[in-house]
Amino acid sequence: MNYFLLNFKAIFVKDIVTELRAKQVLPTMIVLGMLIVWILRIVSEAASIERTVMASAALWIAFLFAGLLVQERSFAVEQQQDCINALLLTPVDVGTIFLSKLFVNVVMLCIFEIIIVPVVLFSFQLSIPDRWPALIGVLLLGNIGISSIGTLFSATVQFSSSLLSIIVLVVLMPMMIPATFTLLLIFGAVPKELTGTGALAFVGDFNTAVGYLIAFDVVFTAAGWLLFGFVVQE
Amino acid sequence: MRRILLLITFALSLVSTWMAFTVGQVVPVEKNITFEKNIVYVHVPSAICSILCFLVLLVAGISYLVTNKPIWDYIGAASAEVAFVFSTVLNATGSIFSRPFWNTWWTPSPRLISSAILWFLCVAYLILRANIQNPRYRARICAVFGIIAFLDVPIIFITARLMTDQHIANVEFESACQRASFGLSILSVALLAALLIWLKTDILKSKAIFEKEFT
Repeated sequence: MNYFLLNFKAIFVKDIVTELRAKQVLPTMIVLGMLIVWILRIVSEAASIERTVMASAALWIAFLFAGLLVQERSFAVEQQQDCINALLLTPVDVGTIFLSKLFVNVVMLCIFEIIIVPVVLFSFQLSIPDRWPALIGVLLLGNIGISSIGTLFSATVQFSSSLLSIIVLVVLMPMMIPATFTLLLIFGAVPKELTGTGALAFVGDFNTAVGYLIAFDVVFTAAGWLLFGFVVQE
Repeated sequence: MRRILLLITFALSLVSTWMAFTVGQVVPVEKNITFEKNIVYVHVPSAICSILCFLVLLVAGISYLVTNKPIWDYIGAASAEVAFVFSTVLNATGSIFSRPFWNTWWTPSPRLISSAILWFLCVAYLILRANIQNPRYRARICAVFGIIAFLDVPIIFITARLMTDQHIANVEFESACQRASFGLSILSVALLAALLIWLKTDILKSKAIFEKEFT
């Protein structure tokens, strides 16, 4: 356990420090996220779409695309001067490498969320006085799901960067349904009596949707931990 | 061996088609709904077969990662392609059915979403396969993606079956003939899927030999 923590910390610190010093991707992510939010805000104003609906869509779209940028970077940075081979040669379990890379990606997305969530709440004029904990929890769950799939398949960027986006978007498509639904409930877009009807019958009420998110996170993280070695080794 | 399977599949599909149009035909309840309900004889078997192909994909993926034998990669690729064919049929027949019944080609109901996701997963697998050149690496990544894709299926596809939906919950037949022709159609489509996977696996095997010898 001690050995695991040591390795975990070493890789994590290495990645996060290089990113914070070089600032390769964080500014790009934030600008991209703000642009997405801004465009969707204009659209919702022009087409008079309910602000709460558009805000939840904007949040997840911004997360997905910003997440893709982080995940691409997490392998691209190892590719320079064949760092990935050196990393694989060290006596570290590949699962540990996966978990620490995942943690780096989650932390980076968290930084992004801390900046973009107030922007969304402010520009869409939403107020959620008593639902802060729920919002943070749901965002964190979605964050882990996005990052785990992205980290697992981040090695595919060496062939073509569009491969990673396709895989992540397709695999996460089912997860986005409960994720969007929970945000709709938090922002108050769906009246209580309408939950569990229509297309939302998929996700039931708030607790079921959160249950789905937890299930996705656990399954994808466990699968990534087990399968990461097959993806990176050459 | 394969010829016998081919003959059996051909005969069974002929018989099940004939039965679906004659003794097994679903009698229209209302006057304006006539023919579309019989699409159940294509729609349900292709749904079952695409799920079975995903199961083959999972088994092939795990077997490849364990044994490292290229044959499992070919089987996985073949089953993904067959799954793509059957999920396309599934979505197309579903659209043909839903147009007269619900007055729309597509609507976001749980089962429709889940079958659309199935289709997208197959497409993503094929795109992934087409984009990686190194065969060993391609096999490994595709195996991993096959496993992940199958993990998506039960969460979505099976839970969707348990939920309230405007989609017909389960097929109910009145006569034994209809039940028999339904069973026969499932069997013939499953055999067809197996045959296609077998053929495609052989094609991929010969292609790999060809590429190794002539490039």
